[in-house]
Amino acid sequence: MMVVAFIVDGPLTAEAQARALHAHAGKWQALTRGGGVGATLRFEGIVRRAEPDHGTVSGGAGGGVAERDLLALDYQTYDPMAERGLLTLAREVAERHGLKSIVAMHSRGRVGVGEVSFVLEVAAPHRAETLAAVADFIDRLKQDVPIWKRAVWAG
Amino acid sequence: MRVEVLLFGGAALAAKADLAVVEVAGDASDVTVRDVLAALHDQHPALKFALPPPESGRLAVNQAFAKGDHAIRPDDEVALVTLVGGG
Repeated sequence: MMVVAFIVDGPLTAEAQARALHAHAGKWQALTRGGGVGATLRFEGIVRRAEPDHGTVSGGAGGGVAERDLLALDYQTYDPMAERGLLTLAREVAERHGLKSIVAMHSRGRVGVGEVSFVLEVAAPHRAETLAAVADFIDRLKQDVPIWKRAVWAG
Repeated sequence: MRVEVLLFGGAALAAKADLAVVEVAGDASDVTVRDVLAALHDQHPALKFALPPPESGRLAVNQAFAKGDHAIRPDDEVALVTLVGGG
């Protein structure tokens, strides 16, 4: 089983992901060539433009939270607990769902609108394990891994 | 005993600081996570929205989650890790 987790400074560009995963490329190829992997699933979290501004209440009939345009999100991590927590969570999810591999990467610092801040890639013998593992991981990420985001508003 | 608690995210914004200091009754040998959470509730009302109940809540102590009866020593690193929002 391959378990990899990183915190990366800035957006998770293709180059940043390749740099982080460079040392593990051979193990991944061996896993897929071995024939035990029947499904892979990749999830990307992308910074979207409109976010609810909890400091602003809309004037509509519902009186809900208004949306504003973002410039970026600033991710704050509690180091080294954040990267260790990401790795521990990856290991637990891999064992619980019988994964062959799991790769989790999260950004630290500023990530602009349209850029990737989180990547989760899982591989398993069947698709059902990959779908369940991704949902499980993301739910627990928000409870157990000390990473916070702060809105940087446009204008 | 005086305990410094690191703050992050919304808790740091609400407190306008990245550290909250609490005075907890008792000496260094018997102060627990529960005591520190109770002291945060009493002494830092601006943080109430981010504070878990003292009986069931947790803090990070030396970079690992700890609950209830876990003892806090004077040189421990203590952090409030609630309402995380990564991803």
